Amino acid sequence: MTVSRRRFIQSASAALIGLSVKSERPIAGSFVNESFEQGHLLRDRASFRPPQQAVKIPVVIVGGGIAGLSAAWRFENKGFRDFVLLEMNEEAGGNSRWGENEITPYPWAAHYVPVPGPNTVYVRQLFEELGVLKNGQWEERYLCFAPQERLFLYGRWQEGIEPAIGLSQKDRDQFRRLEEQIHTFRATGTFTVPMEPGLSESTAHLDQISFADWLREQHMDSRILHWYMNYCCRDDYGATTDRTSAWAGIQYFASREPEEKGPLTWPEGNGWIVRRLLEKLGSFVRTRQMVHRISETKQRLSVLAGDTEYQTERVIFAAPTFLAPYLIDGIGPLRDFEYSPWLTANLTLDHLPESYGGDPTWDSVFMESPTLGYVDATHQSLRTHVDRTVWTFYWALADGSPAQNRQLLLRRDWNFWKEAILHDLERVHHDIRSCVSRIDIMRMGHAMARPEVGAIFSPERRSLTKPHGRILFANSDLSGFSIFEEAQYRGIIAADRVMRALS
Amino acid sequence: MGILLFITVLLIAACGLIYELIAGTLASYLLGDSVLQFSTIIGCYLFAMGIGSALSRYINRGLAYRFVWIELLLGVVGGFSSALLFLAFAYTEGFQLLMYALVIVIGVLVGLEIPLLMRIVRGRYHFRDVIAHVLTFDYLGALGASLLFPILLVPYLGLVRSAMLFGIINVAVALWSTFLFANQLVKAPALRAVSCIVLCGLGIGLAQAKRITTAAEDNIYADEIIFARDTRYQHIVLTRFKDDIRLFLNSHLQFSSRDEYRYHEALIHPGLSAIPAPRRVLVLGGGDGLAVREILKYPQVESIDLVDLDPEMTRLFSTHPMLTALNQRSFSSPKVHITNADAFPWVDSNPDSFDFMVIDFPDPTNYSLGKLYTTAFYKAAARHLSAQGLMVVQSTSPMFARDSYWCIAETIKQAGLRTYPYHVYVPSFGEWGFVIAGHREYQPPTSVPAGLRFIDVRDLATLFQFPPDMAPLAMPPNRLNDQVLVRLYDQDWKDISH
Repeated sequence: MTVSRRRFIQSASAALIGLSVKSERPIAGSFVNESFEQGHLLRDRASFRPPQQAVKIPVVIVGGGIAGLSAAWRFENKGFRDFVLLEMNEEAGGNSRWGENEITPYPWAAHYVPVPGPNTVYVRQLFEELGVLKNGQWEERYLCFAPQERLFLYGRWQEGIEPAIGLSQKDRDQFRRLEEQIHTFRATGTFTVPMEPGLSESTAHLDQISFADWLREQHMDSRILHWYMNYCCRDDYGATTDRTSAWAGIQYFASREPEEKGPLTWPEGNGWIVRRLLEKLGSFVRTRQMVHRISETKQRLSVLAGDTEYQTERVIFAAPTFLAPYLIDGIGPLRDFEYSPWLTANLTLDHLPESYGGDPTWDSVFMESPTLGYVDATHQSLRTHVDRTVWTFYWALADGSPAQNRQLLLRRDWNFWKEAILHDLERVHHDIRSCVSRIDIMRMGHAMARPEVGAIFSPERRSLTKPHGRILFANSDLSGFSIFEEAQYRGIIAADRVMRALS
Repeated sequence: MGILLFITVLLIAACGLIYELIAGTLASYLLGDSVLQFSTIIGCYLFAMGIGSALSRYINRGLAYRFVWIELLLGVVGGFSSALLFLAFAYTEGFQLLMYALVIVIGVLVGLEIPLLMRIVRGRYHFRDVIAHVLTFDYLGALGASLLFPILLVPYLGLVRSAMLFGIINVAVALWSTFLFANQLVKAPALRAVSCIVLCGLGIGLAQAKRITTAAEDNIYADEIIFARDTRYQHIVLTRFKDDIRLFLNSHLQFSSRDEYRYHEALIHPGLSAIPAPRRVLVLGGGDGLAVREILKYPQVESIDLVDLDPEMTRLFSTHPMLTALNQRSFSSPKVHITNADAFPWVDSNPDSFDFMVIDFPDPTNYSLGKLYTTAFYKAAARHLSAQGLMVVQSTSPMFARDSYWCIAETIKQAGLRTYPYHVYVPSFGEWGFVIAGHREYQPPTSVPAGLRFIDVRDLATLFQFPPDMAPLAMPPNRLNDQVLVRLYDQDWKDISH
């Protein structure tokens, strides 16, 4: 009798536990697109098997991000087809890779391109080819739909990310003064997109001071202004203003015209561009081909990837430049290339939270948060009714040293980061846990080049923008920061140089 | 005795017809579509009478006794039929079921009456005379009832009390028959007692009829909402006040049955009548089937594709009797193909071309709906226009949302189409605006389908003239990346309400 009662209590409490576990909504997910294991093989100078076969090909492009794909695009457009592109990962695309589930495609990192100005020739040319720009008109469905951005501050949402509510007279004055300064810098024509054509020694002094210090020199100490500048630097460079070159901080604002309503974006972010490029260039791309050594003999270059030796005339090195010392014989350690570690997550929402607040918006940012907020992948949908969606959550680990943050990224498990993301979202969406069914997380130790003080005019960096024997560097990090236009420009310039040299 | 007998025939004939008329009137009144209601009720009733007549052959003994019982039953069922139906409509879902059940019961009982009566009196007259007299008085009774009903009964007594009154007449016939056929009856005193009790019941009913109708009508109309449902996409509410049915989607009025013909005639005919040989028509939105009803007035139209987001909406307007009465069962036409889909992706991916396109979306109250009023949308839509094709766009009010109206017109123009804005007055909406657009020039038509209540070819040109208070304003176009329209619309209505 006693036994059966005990059993009853046991089974009843087991049932209760079962129920309570069930009421806590399980959230699935994992780390995805992990690539540091391969990267660390290079770092640790692991030994690789000798090649089993040799392929002779005039040009090898190393790296299938936007720089490498743009070099390939340039080749193809000019009728040059004697090349191959080697990509370490399963998919090409680099920072513009994308994913897709039953709801929508979504970006893994880069998710928009600002509407290019008249001088950003190559981007315009690409977009004309892709039907984004037609007869001088931007295709409406590729421009970011309204409403574009919102910021959560003082317990409410405002439209736009630049703080517009709760400003004191001092704040306003400083925003206005900064705008005037930026206008002056813009008028000099030295801050351009891409940066190379406009780069002038006359602005070199701005690279010798941090953006935070420069702001203080201008007597701009508004907390709100500093928050916004910090947000912008974290967003584009993955760094805080005190770790960002003032030149880069100014470039962010002065290089672009106050544009027409944009930016250009797609559900899968810049993955859309990759997708379209691969339709044309897919046959040149070899994925899962990790290059582990590039060496130069008198006649040619030897590129070892997997079990193949590519014997080639020229190499376009479009992978991140920090990898060069590990791969290329004769390249010494690099000092001026620093990178920001990032984390992105794609959250599957079965419904919007009750606390969503306001009209569905593309990009939502929280003021009091170390993260960069989230972008709604279904915002570019033509549908009027969307119930399930995917949010791409962006987090540049900007505070503290990149090396320590890389360690943190590696050491902590998925559950830790999942909780960290949900905690951040719960600041604004208290009911977010009841909406999310899946969180996939991508960790990137070297997500983007970080334009630290002195990085832009660094002699080391400047020298690598020039041909290095038969090797041409092409990653966007040669510009000092990682944006689409820089990557595309570097890839195209390298391709042009290769074609000139070989003709 | 002869004349009394034949008056009996006259009265029971009148009673039978009155119950049938009451059922038909009530159904038309509560459900609409009087043609359908009267046809089906008369059909059922006559059919049930046939069953009654057929059944009469199985009654072999105690004819008079059973005749009295039939009259008593008819008095109760018929007398309370109207009250029962009112209450059923007000408080239950089973109005139609009960109505046809009552019609059939009454029909069967009425069908039994005359055969039994003729057999009761068979011995007293020649067969030839029985047939002649009974049928003569039967038809006379029907004439009397059909004249009395509309002239006196409905206006002065109302449906509930008329039924009670004729129930009393049926019971009176029962009572009187106990004397008339006393020699053929056993238990006559018991029958008389029952008759008196039923009479009292009906008498009380007659006196209390007003309270019954008030209770029922209060329940029908005090809460005017006769249908409310949250679908996946929207909140649908139907209200009714007297003969006015109104549809609200997310609290926005979509139509009032009193004047929707103005809106829908104006939406369809100025454009569709201007197309020489329209064969294929597309309706985007319009899940109420009212635009389709107007399009079906063109026999040369071979197919109508309707794309509406909400399957609940098209289902409701395909099945609910009150609503199919309103759209004249337009969704049942074999020409109509309904697709439940989001309009923009549908327009973007469908390859077909159409001679006439009706774009009838809810007003641009938010950024999601605003997508359906952008240059990108109209460009995608314009690709579906045939060489002679035109589209018409519901464009809000040029009076109350003047900025919004001219913004929509400008947006359509910027999509590369010629635009022809016009407006009409719809009492429940006020001044309302539309835009006809196409790749070609548009001339107002010189003829429209016969029988329209509002659109008149002679006045068509005036619809395209805008008085100064609604005159064109220079507005920017509405774009996906810059939805000025949603902000203008919001502001326009704020300006009105403050």
